[in-house]
Amino acid sequence: MSYKYYWEDFYPGQVLEAGSASLSAEEIIEFGKKYDPQPFHIDEEQAKQSVFGGLIASGWQTASLCMRLICDLYLLEAASLGSPGIDELRWVKPVYPGDTLHLKSTVLETRASASRPDMGTVRSRSEVYNQHGELVMHMSGVGMFRRRSPGE
Amino acid sequence: MAIKYYWEDFAPGRTFESATRMLSEEDIVRFAQEWDPQTYHTDAQAARSSPFGGLIASGWQTAAVGMRLMCDTYLLQTSCVGSPGLDELRWLKPVRPGDTLSLRSTVLEATPSGKQPNRGTVLFRWEILNQNGEVALSMLGRQLFLRRTPA
Repeated sequence: MSYKYYWEDFYPGQVLEAGSASLSAEEIIEFGKKYDPQPFHIDEEQAKQSVFGGLIASGWQTASLCMRLICDLYLLEAASLGSPGIDELRWVKPVYPGDTLHLKSTVLETRASASRPDMGTVRSRSEVYNQHGELVMHMSGVGMFRRRSPGE
Repeated sequence: MAIKYYWEDFAPGRTFESATRMLSEEDIVRFAQEWDPQTYHTDAQAARSSPFGGLIASGWQTAAVGMRLMCDTYLLQTSCVGSPGLDELRWLKPVRPGDTLSLRSTVLEATPSGKQPNRGTVLFRWEILNQNGEVALSMLGRQLFLRRTPA
């Protein structure tokens, strides 16, 4: 299989932006019941009494949606070898039902692997915005990618 | 549900151990089809020729399962009012079908809010362990709790 994106195709300053996605109240409640059953994620009435004033998505669902947008934007067409982790993830604003979310991913740094000539890493910052242009979540992640041409 | 734990109850060093949760192949594929459809998370056949040698769970599912274990162990009995975020999340070991996960969370630091006298922050180390006692995921998570007695 050949890919559209190998390690060499990422460069610092590169910006990748993805179209919109939104979560309905039903989707928020379904995810909440499975993974994060705090009242403000699963119960509209109780959520109204909470500090958020209404139902909000679990932060893990926002992060998962961000992952899905990254997949659809480029990752499924990339020679991805997984990720060692994430730094500085911040849930800046609550995500409410019907919010329309948009992803902006910026490459911060690319590095050839010292131990594996066929691989390199890419550090990028992903930002999720709502329909008002407000930043709702951001994180910095590292991805490992196969190289098109192995290094020395 | 009655609140058992407020901000004051999270003293540094306090540890919570969760029950366990097994992830089946079906659980892994269903989560991935919705949120992280990379082939090593969705297709057992194709995953065999991947660097992981078989199907593995999306790292986001591992974290979400940790969240659920935290909810069931103590979080739903607390005055938690959300989380500003997390740091240093590391996926240290792949999670495979049939693996049984548990969460160990340890209080590292409890800080009163500078602005809101009725709140405080607690910094936890999360460790999600597999059935062999290996840490599959580690991270630093911060959560906000109401205080029993405002400052």
